[in-house]
Amino acid sequence: MARQANTSLVAGLSAAILAAFGLPLVLGGQWTGIFTSTACFAMAAMGAGFMYSRLGMVSLAQVALMGVGGWVTLRLNHAFSLPFETNLILAAVVTSVLGMLLAIPALRMRGLYLALVTLMVAGGLEVVFTAYQFPNGGAGFWGVGTSFAAEMRRPVLAQSDGAYLTYTLLVAMLGLLLIMAHRQTAPGRAWALIRRSEAAAIASGTNVTFYKTWAFGLSGLLAGLGGGLLAGSLGLLDASSFRASESILLFALVIVGGARFWLGAVIAAVLYRVAPGLLNNWGVDADLALIFFGAALLHAVTTAPDGIAGQITGLFRRREAKA
Amino acid sequence: MIALDGVTVRFGGLVALDAISAQFEAAVSGIIGPNGAGKTTTMNVISGFLTPKSGAVVVDGTDLVGMSPHKRPHWGLRRSFQREQIADDLSVLGNLLSLADNLHGSRAERRANVDAALEFVGITAMAGRMGASLNTYERRLTDLARCLVGQPRLIMLDEPAGGLTVEESAHLGDIILRIGGFCPAQVLVIDHDVDLIARICAQTLVLDFGRRIAFGPTAAVLADPAVKAAYLGIEVDHA
Repeated sequence: MARQANTSLVAGLSAAILAAFGLPLVLGGQWTGIFTSTACFAMAAMGAGFMYSRLGMVSLAQVALMGVGGWVTLRLNHAFSLPFETNLILAAVVTSVLGMLLAIPALRMRGLYLALVTLMVAGGLEVVFTAYQFPNGGAGFWGVGTSFAAEMRRPVLAQSDGAYLTYTLLVAMLGLLLIMAHRQTAPGRAWALIRRSEAAAIASGTNVTFYKTWAFGLSGLLAGLGGGLLAGSLGLLDASSFRASESILLFALVIVGGARFWLGAVIAAVLYRVAPGLLNNWGVDADLALIFFGAALLHAVTTAPDGIAGQITGLFRRREAKA
Repeated sequence: MIALDGVTVRFGGLVALDAISAQFEAAVSGIIGPNGAGKTTTMNVISGFLTPKSGAVVVDGTDLVGMSPHKRPHWGLRRSFQREQIADDLSVLGNLLSLADNLHGSRAERRANVDAALEFVGITAMAGRMGASLNTYERRLTDLARCLVGQPRLIMLDEPAGGLTVEESAHLGDIILRIGGFCPAQVLVIDHDVDLIARICAQTLVLDFGRRIAFGPTAAVLADPAVKAAYLGIEVDHA
């Protein structure tokens, strides 16, 4: 079992590094941007996936939290002349703290009720984003001007679109490693026990409040990183990208992709960003993707509880068993 | 010594425990009674999941009432549940480490504690197996091993032999009897298996409808006509 996990980790890391340096070479123009934002959404999807698969908690605010990360990154970029990395890290920390505040109701609520609370937060953030928009270099706290398009600084090492895609994929990989490191250590064990039963966790001396808050913080951190990187990629953010419905869609795709697997987060993000792009390219209305997603979700819920990633993993295991 | 002193628990109008007092001095003691007698409620009070309306729980001179339940394992309290609580996505080792994580001491010390518990229960060989692959008996053994990690002072087992065969139950009883040689903890067992209780428990408390019916040496308690009437009547007649 441990060997299988290691093989999967090595395979994943190799694939990620290959993708990080290979994709920018083969992709052209528009697709570089699409894959960059795919990597950003994959980070948010990882957060939703581990919360669901390890703790059984449904968070429907991941895309909204990405918006928070993006907002803070843009705000800092236009207000001060700090390097991109500083803005990104601060944005991730702010989002993480907001995620932890979300944990307060989570300590008393479970299942559907918790999901509803996170959805309300996403709805609240949607209202704020729509009302105030994202900073674009204008004056004041909200920093929105009518005809401004101030420069969004990028990392020194990743000025071009191609290099920025590599940069984003590498950060996403670090995010994945961060989750994996958690799973192998005390927090991962505490989460597994909390998921089994909170009473058992308490009887083992686990501080349930602390570890649940930690999970929300980690998931917020990943969403914040994703949002900040998305801001760096696009230079401007639009409120319509961070609606509450987007958070729900991303969560649904995490289920379709497979919440228990790192590959699931990647599949979720690819479906979320690449599938509509492909349909557009083929001259089909991108909204058709929603119908496919609905069918895929039905499929996942009824026949593939581990999602597409689970089916792929199962396929490889069966082959190994036969060989 | 585990001393219950006038422990009373009420759920609305229902008196779940009615001024229960008992002093367990034996290395292994038992609590028996029909369904709904208050056995698990007693265990929940001792482990802090329920706060009694009145009364005291004093173990080795420490009054436990008021200590938050997740701090009690650190003090030395361990408990298992009627339904075993093994996390399917952790290995057997991981399940034991999940308790050790919350104890003081260096990483190496905690690991040594876990290894000693695995060794004592005799499940070292399956330390790497995932929880999901374990059968009922292996789960029960893992649950018991988790209760032995660290320096337990009081171990409470809620129906540890639930769902086990006669042989498995006998083997589990042997392990429980040997706990005294492994660590200085007192053990409190709840079970429906009267044979198991009679074999391993020196002292037994009998509850019925939240009241204490009998308390004392197990053999004397089981021979008590009131106990037979409340709980053992049919079984004893057939024996």
